[in-house]
Amino acid sequence: MIDFVQNTVDGIMFGSSYALLAIGFTIIFGVMRRLNLAYGATIMLGAYAGTWLHVHYQVNALVVAMTILACTVLAGIYVERLCFRAVRRDAVLASMVSSFVIWMQLEEVAIHLLPERTYPFPSLFVAGSFELGPFLFRAEQITMLALAVVMVAALNLLLHRTRYGLALRAVCESPQAAGYMGIDTRWVMLCAFALVSLVGGVAGYAILATDEQVTPFFGLWATFKGLIAMMLGGMGSLPGAILGGLVLGVVEAHAQWYLGNEYKDLSAYVLLFAILVLRPGGLMGRRILGREELAFRRV
Amino acid sequence: MLELRGLSKHFGGVKALDRLDLTIDEGEIFGLIGPNGSGKSTTINVICGVYPQTAGSVLFRGELMNGKPPHQRLRAGLARTFQNIRLFPTLTVWQNLWVAQNSPGDIARQGFLPRWFGTTRRTRQEIAELLELADLGHKSDELAANLAFGEQRRLEFARAAAARPKLLLLDEPAAGMNSQEIDDLSWRIRRVRDSGVTVLLVEHVMELVMGVTERIAVLNFGHRIAFGTPSEVQRNRAVQEAYLGTSAAEAGPADGSA
Repeated sequence: MIDFVQNTVDGIMFGSSYALLAIGFTIIFGVMRRLNLAYGATIMLGAYAGTWLHVHYQVNALVVAMTILACTVLAGIYVERLCFRAVRRDAVLASMVSSFVIWMQLEEVAIHLLPERTYPFPSLFVAGSFELGPFLFRAEQITMLALAVVMVAALNLLLHRTRYGLALRAVCESPQAAGYMGIDTRWVMLCAFALVSLVGGVAGYAILATDEQVTPFFGLWATFKGLIAMMLGGMGSLPGAILGGLVLGVVEAHAQWYLGNEYKDLSAYVLLFAILVLRPGGLMGRRILGREELAFRRV
Repeated sequence: MLELRGLSKHFGGVKALDRLDLTIDEGEIFGLIGPNGSGKSTTINVICGVYPQTAGSVLFRGELMNGKPPHQRLRAGLARTFQNIRLFPTLTVWQNLWVAQNSPGDIARQGFLPRWFGTTRRTRQEIAELLELADLGHKSDELAANLAFGEQRRLEFARAAAARPKLLLLDEPAAGMNSQEIDDLSWRIRRVRDSGVTVLLVEHVMELVMGVTERIAVLNFGHRIAFGTPSEVQRNRAVQEAYLGTSAAEAGPADGSA
């Protein structure tokens, strides 16, 4: 029983960063109605830029963190320009394929930047652990959870309490109507890319700081986890992305404990498969899917 | 106010609009009618920038609109409603109006300020007036998705008016309405016009068009086949043949202006 609770708590803490990754995918899907496959790679590139500064110029961890956020945002804007702005709105497949190509390109850049397989990651987080009753908590995981909670709260405020948030929601609802109401949809989309890159940068930083190392495969890893968590929760749904991330984290933690380390990733795929068969819209996606159909019928 | 010069729109080999010339004067309620597929909706869509024209030009208040994206046309003073309603379903009635009302300055660019920042008493007053115009005062905090069909239509109309346009384009606003609703709509259109907005009404429902417009252009196969006041148009033989059907042509007198 104690193991079960411990695993669940660990899962929620790590799942919070999955949730942030899933939010990035889901917001872009909501705004663009397209998948941005390069999302994980933009985060990886940001992390590499920070690590590169650290390796070559021994800058301190705070500068590294700032560099990572800034470079992730720049990379996100780059992806928007190349994959989504340049490709016509109705060319859904073309922009998805081009985001895949950009993913490969960003990975190449990262490998040229730092050619070895792994590098130690300079963390700002306090490492260590403490016990509370029978349970063990790791300080960096608590930091991760706290960061995620802050990010989600800030996003929620942004979406529901600011003018930009209102415009973004209007664009999600109906990009055409938003355009005729005078909203510059391209600007909204560009800002959305910058925004989710910032969220992704924070998530990436938290994950790498916990792992204390960075590899070029981080892009692939982040894309997998984010996509799976988004599909679990339901595409285009923000609460769904959060729920999906947490569920994914908890299931992985249990699989790792009861079945062994090698089953951790496998359990995620099994879970995704089960959800897609039993509830294709995701856990919270039914309403969103309904609107999606409406949107297509209107066009 | 609005001038269309030799406006053409071809879809593949189909000439949806073929060298259309049209001038709409400031302050009038102008009707655009025609049988199904005559090019009415295409006209509105080209004016609003849904798709580019094949040839010709759209001049709005002396300014060339060719190639401008929809949001810039709105800021120039062109607002529209949609034949099939396109509200923002998960925003409230009030927010739907608020988005549109702020749009001349573009809320997205006003940025990351709290929503209430700059929401003056005047903007709230204007939204209250729009709610009254649409008879939705009691529903202002309801989600648009939860409104009845008729209420959604009224909100769609008020939302377009909220953008403070110079020219309001109404794309078949009376489809599916009963007599009482059409009367209400005429009242609303006149009220908006009296507040200084020019109106272009594209419509099938003759009861509304004949009652509310001052001048009418009739389209058929992308050509303008008639032009004049409602009574002139009704008496026009070409119109009767193309639009009202042969029985009406037999019933009505032969002459008219074209």
